[in-house]
Amino acid sequence: MSIATYTMPLGPVHVALEEPVYFNLTVDGENIKNVELTSGHVHRGMEQLAMQRNLVKNVTLTERVCSLCSNSHSFTYSMVVENALQLEIPERAKYLRVMAEEIKRIASHLFNTAIQAHIAGFKSLFMHVMEVREIMQDVKETVYGNRMNLASNCIGGVKCDVDAELIAYILKQLDVIEPQMREILDIFDSNHIMLTRTKGLGILPPEEAEALGVVGPVARGSGLRKDVRFDSPYAAYPNLDFDLIVEDGCCVHSRTMVRLRELFESVKLIRQCCEQMPEGPVRTHMGKIPVNEAFAHTEAPRGEVAYYIRTNGTELPARLKWRVPSYMNWKALGVMMKGCQIAEVALVLNSIDPCVSCTER
Amino acid sequence: MDTLLGILHMCIFPGGIFALIIGFFFKGLDRRVEARLQRRVGPPLVQPWLDTAKLLTKETLIPNTACKEAFLMAPVVGFAGMAVCAAFIPVPGVFDGLYNMGDLLVLFYLLPIPAIAMMMGGSASSSPFGAVGFSREMIIMLAYETPLLMILLSVAMLIGKALNGGDWGAEFSLLKIVEWQQANGSLGLNPIMIPAFLAYLIFLPGTMGVPPFDIPEAETEVVEGPLLEYGGPLLALFHVGSALKTFVVLGLGVAMFFPGTIADSWILNLLWFLFKCLVLMLVSLTVVKSATGRYRIDQAFRFFVLVPTMLALCSLLLVWLI
Repeated sequence: MSIATYTMPLGPVHVALEEPVYFNLTVDGENIKNVELTSGHVHRGMEQLAMQRNLVKNVTLTERVCSLCSNSHSFTYSMVVENALQLEIPERAKYLRVMAEEIKRIASHLFNTAIQAHIAGFKSLFMHVMEVREIMQDVKETVYGNRMNLASNCIGGVKCDVDAELIAYILKQLDVIEPQMREILDIFDSNHIMLTRTKGLGILPPEEAEALGVVGPVARGSGLRKDVRFDSPYAAYPNLDFDLIVEDGCCVHSRTMVRLRELFESVKLIRQCCEQMPEGPVRTHMGKIPVNEAFAHTEAPRGEVAYYIRTNGTELPARLKWRVPSYMNWKALGVMMKGCQIAEVALVLNSIDPCVSCTER
Repeated sequence: MDTLLGILHMCIFPGGIFALIIGFFFKGLDRRVEARLQRRVGPPLVQPWLDTAKLLTKETLIPNTACKEAFLMAPVVGFAGMAVCAAFIPVPGVFDGLYNMGDLLVLFYLLPIPAIAMMMGGSASSSPFGAVGFSREMIIMLAYETPLLMILLSVAMLIGKALNGGDWGAEFSLLKIVEWQQANGSLGLNPIMIPAFLAYLIFLPGTMGVPPFDIPEAETEVVEGPLLEYGGPLLALFHVGSALKTFVVLGLGVAMFFPGTIADSWILNLLWFLFKCLVLMLVSLTVVKSATGRYRIDQAFRFFVLVPTMLALCSLLLVWLI
């Protein structure tokens, strides 16, 4: 070790981080020699909280685990409770759930992409992507009444139905957003600075990705065909037609490309939902709570979210446990950050789209 | 008497107060135009004044582990260097510039002072971000000083040769450079000087530390780098120094490449000079800033070696050979 080696803190509060996490970097000039990661700043004891609330109240609680994939949590939680209660939800509710999920996915992916531009110092691109995302925020606000926590799921179905007028509005907004997203995709795929900064950075080879069990866009960016929507289709996904997006660049750029290309699949899915949605009720009654245990998993914007529940016949769950995508992707940072520079730490970190509050809950 | 006049020029016009007013006006406008390019409203034009006024009311905090003297001196050095520099800038038709002998060389020595002050402050602050900022500032300075030297040399040699009747020569007096161009046409329109002018356009964002070369102060990487530990009046002094530097580098560009005048009236000439500075700023700083992201330090260095240095070298060789 040379004299120039010193430690540099990144976080817990840092401009490039949305959530508190602490990196202790050992730096030699500009090059990173060692990364030590400490987390736990946003631990809220949610699993314990969940065991003190009844099954219905937990929908609200799980929605607040994370902001960007809030819908995925209440969605998966509702699914796991329905599995435990052996409920079959109405067809229309399945489509409505997929619709909410895909609207959230578009907003989440655009947000992550915007933050990447912000970290690369590209303020105008950041503003541009956030402005496009605002269209999706408007959709959320118009349809669900909220901009972040949609509160659309409940056990046995969904809370809010959409009528013909709202469907027309959603379709209109999709027509508006699609060409703009195409433009963003082109910028990220052709802009000189974005390419020089992200291409070939944070390499995660497929073998390592497989071994670490990464999920979501991180896995698909390394060429793994992993997507819960395909591997074990749930809700209305079996009836819908869409593609699995895979890139084999294994770098930060290919992860971004996976996210951006998935936007169009989400648009396709929402359109199909709007067209194919059957008429009918949107929720069923819960019925009696049995002694049971159940499992459910879905594809959140960041990857697989898995919930496990054990019920004991009372209204309180005996155990509620969930595993979030960032927990799986976290370990891959060690591989990605090998030999990178100070300037690249934040870019690599952002490329796994970390959700610290999910992971620490 | 001369000394007194010199001090007046450094404190009131064109250095000191005048340069500060213009620098802050340009900075305000820069922020406003950038905001408009990003479809934001942007802050009012007086925002730099408001920021400075607010900073002046704050307490001066010095980190325990900092080297106190260097930490306090750094912003003063940066500010003083630029205040002196501004007095050397000729405003065509209004002011001839202080000391008309070899002032181009003096400017070349004085221009890196804010960067050196930044390095001094960064390393004295004892913060690891300051240290990284220091090394980055040093690298980027080495990268942009080389093309700057070549640009200045090609301007000096071209005019020196012309004044010497085609023989070998170099003219380092900015006043003579301006006068020659007023008689024989602007260098910015001279085909063999166009590469040098382009190199100067790239040098500007480099020296002003705006994207894509805002690497030493990169917010998302080193949290403002050398400026991280500064606050209150000391930070305000850095901002003032930066505003003066805006005036100096833009004024130097105008004096070297487009020093034409439009009338005999000094007020019109002054406005014409400021207008040219403004256009130069919008083209080389504001638009570039809002159209690019940030390079990594090694990429920026490679870019400076490959593009502006080669462009400037091209002009230098052409001047030498023709």
